[in-house]
Amino acid sequence: MQPVMGTEQDLLLKQKKKNLNRKRLDTWLLLLPTLGIFLFFFLLPLFFLFITSFKTFDPGSGIGSEWTLQNYIKFISDPFYLGVVWRTVKIALITTLVTIIISYPVAFQISKAKGRAKNYLTLLVLSPLLISMVIRCYGWVIILSNNGVVNNTLMSLGWIDTPLTLLYTEFSVVIGMVHVLFPYMVLSIMGSIERIDPSVIRASQNLGASSFRTFFSVLLPLTLPGIFAGSVMVFSLSVSSFVTPAILGGPQVKVMSYLTYEQVAVMLNWPYGGAIGFLLIFIATVTIIAYSKILARSEKGVAIQ
Amino acid sequence: MSYLRLENVVKTFNKTEVVKKLSLEIEKGELMSFLGPSGCGKTTTLNMIAGFLEVDGGKIEVDGKPVHLLPPNKREMGMVFQNYALFPHMTVFDNVAYGLKLRKVAKSEINTRVLEALEMVRLAGYEKRYPKELSGGQQQRVSLARALVIKPKVLLLDEPLSNLDAKLRQEMREEIVDIQKKVGITTIFVTHDQEEALAISDRIAVMYEGRIEQVDEPAAIYNHPETDFVSQFIGEVNRVQGKVLETYDDQKSKLHFFGNEQIVPVRYTRNSEVDFFIRPEKIQLSLANSDNAGFETKVERKMFLGAKTRYILKAQDKQLVADVSNTVLNPNQIQEESHVFAYWNPEDLLPSRKAR
Repeated sequence: MQPVMGTEQDLLLKQKKKNLNRKRLDTWLLLLPTLGIFLFFFLLPLFFLFITSFKTFDPGSGIGSEWTLQNYIKFISDPFYLGVVWRTVKIALITTLVTIIISYPVAFQISKAKGRAKNYLTLLVLSPLLISMVIRCYGWVIILSNNGVVNNTLMSLGWIDTPLTLLYTEFSVVIGMVHVLFPYMVLSIMGSIERIDPSVIRASQNLGASSFRTFFSVLLPLTLPGIFAGSVMVFSLSVSSFVTPAILGGPQVKVMSYLTYEQVAVMLNWPYGGAIGFLLIFIATVTIIAYSKILARSEKGVAIQ
Repeated sequence: MSYLRLENVVKTFNKTEVVKKLSLEIEKGELMSFLGPSGCGKTTTLNMIAGFLEVDGGKIEVDGKPVHLLPPNKREMGMVFQNYALFPHMTVFDNVAYGLKLRKVAKSEINTRVLEALEMVRLAGYEKRYPKELSGGQQQRVSLARALVIKPKVLLLDEPLSNLDAKLRQEMREEIVDIQKKVGITTIFVTHDQEEALAISDRIAVMYEGRIEQVDEPAAIYNHPETDFVSQFIGEVNRVQGKVLETYDDQKSKLHFFGNEQIVPVRYTRNSEVDFFIRPEKIQLSLANSDNAGFETKVERKMFLGAKTRYILKAQDKQLVADVSNTVLNPNQIQEESHVFAYWNPEDLLPSRKAR
């Protein structure tokens, strides 16, 4: 190669490299604010909490100086605490299941609607998110309490003699959570329904499938990614929710976030509270991973889609 | 007795009639094209035949039995969609087997029939692939196999080639005709591409604004268009205005245009002004006006198009487009801005039906 050509080639390469570096720098600059907040106000405190959860409890200063596994052992070996874990996961799973069932038809109808109607319907679905969590929960208290709307109505109709216990049960907690979380599911399922080519549905009918069969053979499998995304959101929000179980479940329906709050804010036992918090994160993560594994196995095509 | 019959079929969207009392009869085994510009109602009509849209009037019969009240899954029609519409979560095999499974066909028979169908569309060996792993042409072939494997009464093709590139489109259309003839299935082919329709159809129904303008064999549609729309939509035409000088008893008239006179085989009223069409490839050019048959034009532009050359001509301020084969006339002989003589055979004139 001639020397002149060589330098030209070198210049070109240099410029290319410069451009590439510039592009990378831009990317990092754009991510910087979010990364900063994430790092300093989420990961770092979480890391300190993790370390704290391996410390002993000191009644004087809160956090002791000794290292120990006792916080985790205490939790895992106590049937009461395990019961709370089970209840937390159970409530979250039921909430997720109920939201899927009630959100699917809503999402389906909204994605079929057109123009302005669609916007209004979407707004309607999102409306629970516009009201403060606490106010909404007290609304449910008024409806579900012993002399609340439901019990008064049923008694005045003469259908029951003594009020039903609706409030401060797992039932009331699930109702409250479904109410606030179902918009997430609707939006997520809507997204995946809208991505389906309508002629695929027609093709199914054309080949002889009833609407029922088309739903289970075509529509449902193709919307599984949306259901999955919605489930992950709803499950992780409900497994870690605090306000709704605190108001609608109270001390009778203790969940893990409530336990953590008790240990940290009431007992001032930060190490134990930290341990419970970490177990909650662990359980939620494991459940979500297991869920995605099962889903991936049951519907191979979805991954390919 | 025709196999598929549409009788006064009407479809209304928001108070606008998009299909207006459409009647059509299609013979068994025939390949009928619905050809027309977008918005002419061809796809709407197809969707009514398939059952995706309800008819707002009239009836549709297959083999003498009315079907227009049946839901789409009971009509036994195979449809191939423009965008293939394969089930993305199923393998090629499962896509093709879908209709058979719904018909509760025995497993071993499903297997043989699916493999046969895939063999027919030259996709043997692709059973385990997912649609996403296939090219557009392959996906469309799967779609065709899926529609044919259930042995439908009618095959409906909704612009099946429009998402493919030009070369593949030509290949696929020949393949579709081959398969259609082999299976002998009554087929409706919806397209806006006239070349496609002319190439493959037994008959073409040219549609415009919700009506059928003309139903005929491709050559008849091209050479004897019955309406102005058909003349202008199928192939290209030059619109020429002329004056009727003389009329004769034997269905002939003497026309005057561009300072030239010609006796044409059409009956006109004497002294009236008339419009007629002439196709670019029917115009012949020559450097000398040998037997006074032609009229003088100026060559404004010429475009080399491979086998032919397109000349944009000007005759008495009116523009004419002429396509002349390069084997008939060497384009180097004719320069832009020069004058040539144009003429045509009187039989090639397509009279306009519109009164002026």
